[in-house]
Amino acid sequence: MKGVWAVFIKELRDAVRDRRSWTIALTLSMAAGPLVFVLLSNFISGLEERVAEREVVIEAPSHAPTLVNYLQRIGAKVVEAPPDHLERLRSGSLQNAVVRPPADFEDRLARGETVEIEVVYDESHEKAQPVVATAVRLVESFNRELGQQRLLARGVSPRLLVAVQVQNVNLASTQARGARLLFIVPWAALMVSVFGALSVAIDVTAGERERGSLEPLLANPVDAWQLVVGKWAVVVVYSTAIVLLTLLGFVASMRFVSNETLQALVQLQWREVLLFAVVLLPFSALMAALNMLVATYGRSFKEAQTYVSYISMAVQFSALVPVFLTVRDAAWHLWVPSVGQLSVLMKVLRGEAVGAAHLLLPALVCLAAAAACLWLQARLLRRESIVFSRG
Amino acid sequence: MIEADALGKQFVARRGRGREVLTAVADVSFRAADGAVTALLGPNGAGKTTTLRILATLMRPDSGTARVGGIDVTADPMAVRAQLGVLSDARGLYTRLSARENIAYYADLHGVAAADRESRLAEMAQLLDMDHLLDRRTEGFSTGERMKVALARALIHDPQHLVLDEPTLGLDVMSTRALRKLLLHLRSRGKCIVFSTHIMQEVEALSDSIVVVAHGRTLAAGSAAELRHAGGGGSLEDAFVALTAASEAAA
Repeated sequence: MKGVWAVFIKELRDAVRDRRSWTIALTLSMAAGPLVFVLLSNFISGLEERVAEREVVIEAPSHAPTLVNYLQRIGAKVVEAPPDHLERLRSGSLQNAVVRPPADFEDRLARGETVEIEVVYDESHEKAQPVVATAVRLVESFNRELGQQRLLARGVSPRLLVAVQVQNVNLASTQARGARLLFIVPWAALMVSVFGALSVAIDVTAGERERGSLEPLLANPVDAWQLVVGKWAVVVVYSTAIVLLTLLGFVASMRFVSNETLQALVQLQWREVLLFAVVLLPFSALMAALNMLVATYGRSFKEAQTYVSYISMAVQFSALVPVFLTVRDAAWHLWVPSVGQLSVLMKVLRGEAVGAAHLLLPALVCLAAAAACLWLQARLLRRESIVFSRG
Repeated sequence: MIEADALGKQFVARRGRGREVLTAVADVSFRAADGAVTALLGPNGAGKTTTLRILATLMRPDSGTARVGGIDVTADPMAVRAQLGVLSDARGLYTRLSARENIAYYADLHGVAAADRESRLAEMAQLLDMDHLLDRRTEGFSTGERMKVALARALIHDPQHLVLDEPTLGLDVMSTRALRKLLLHLRSRGKCIVFSTHIMQEVEALSDSIVVVAHGRTLAAGSAAELRHAGGGGSLEDAFVALTAASEAAA
């Protein structure tokens, strides 16, 4: 244990003196919260403004005065479409639907015919979707009103047309709807666990090889596992500090979010932050061990960075797994590091009940995997090809 | 006392698509007594560094045995390390730590008490003339300054045995003198010192006993005078050339 402690103290001092590294890590972790929440808040209030405006863009409103009248009567704002609206729709500078009544709109309407109205939009612009839906709904309600008037004129009750009325009952709570968008919050927290202590993890492994200090270090009467555990403890302390700072940043930013919808959507009080920490810390302990193990293969800092980047790529991809699988919260998720953490964090954000199994199982998986990484790394340090080849 | 008995070590190297077995050490045997400085003299690639790595328990020999203070290096490497100071081929320092902190780290790994550490550090700083270096961070140290720190950290647990790989490599005259002063001091205290070199001139100045190694084999051992005599009475360099030529003819 004396050896572990000596390694821990030395590596901690070394890491603290690496001012540039920790300044960057600190800045990034403190900026993560405000950045994520400002983006979310802007996104949501952008949606709200457009939907609230109930704006309908019409090409040549003079072709369809009846429609324009109706829209103005129910409080929608009618805007004439710019002549280059097709290009602007594609490029996203116009994020709405353009309603295009034909030139003989009024004549055909008067004759009681069915008139086709084109509604042009680009579905690939995500922000446009709710606005487009509003425009389409307004045109359809015009259709309904006109149809009802025609039936009444012929003495038929419009109720006959309504054989079935659909009542939408959305089971998702307000929080659950918000959490779809809030995927970015646990994802950002997970990324901080992966990247937060990366430079320290590389410095205590590949850095030792690059400096040529590994060979003399191993000539000391200390078992390789003591070196590995002492170094790992420093990386864990470092990444724990960064994860906690990031979470504090999340809470602090939430206080400054003025958007009421977002405030209603996000459950991120002290209780949630505590759960986030409980979920993330074992994961970041695993990331520390895994990054160290892989970085040990690097003869230099640079080489190690290349190897380690594959890990962060794998974690980023694994974040997509639940998105592509239609089954939410499958039991196996909890057994897979990063997928398990994401799915539990999403539960927390959605305000769902999180049981002991949701916290314990992924944590135990992470800690067991971390132990395996450390064991493998201690074996690596006894390998001559690792000890004696330098960058 | 350090003893090497018929040491052998092979490496597998890649050659094109295939593999090739290289013999770094074929048959090295020698005895280094306490209270003496023993030099391993040989050309580059003779197997000196590999031999010293085996003694320092950093590599396992494929054949033969080595004992440091009577303890087999493969049987109990921890006990060997505890009584051995090593200046290895790689002698990297931690550049964000001061010289004193670099040395204190190794003292902690050896479990040296703080009081012993400070008194030994003061003694070595004086012998190596490095007092002014102690509290500077080692970033940007010269080769000589780095060697002094590396040597001090290898000696901080006051080991009975000392193994130095090319200690004079890249040193200027003043640093070489400081090194010699330290080695003589350690010898006078009865320590067993083994160092490797390929430089003929420093061998006579630094060592009591010389082991000539080439192509992974021990060719001869003895004092400088004995080797000169065996080589036909010329200079040590003539003796060395004659010995290695004979071994090449035999191989």
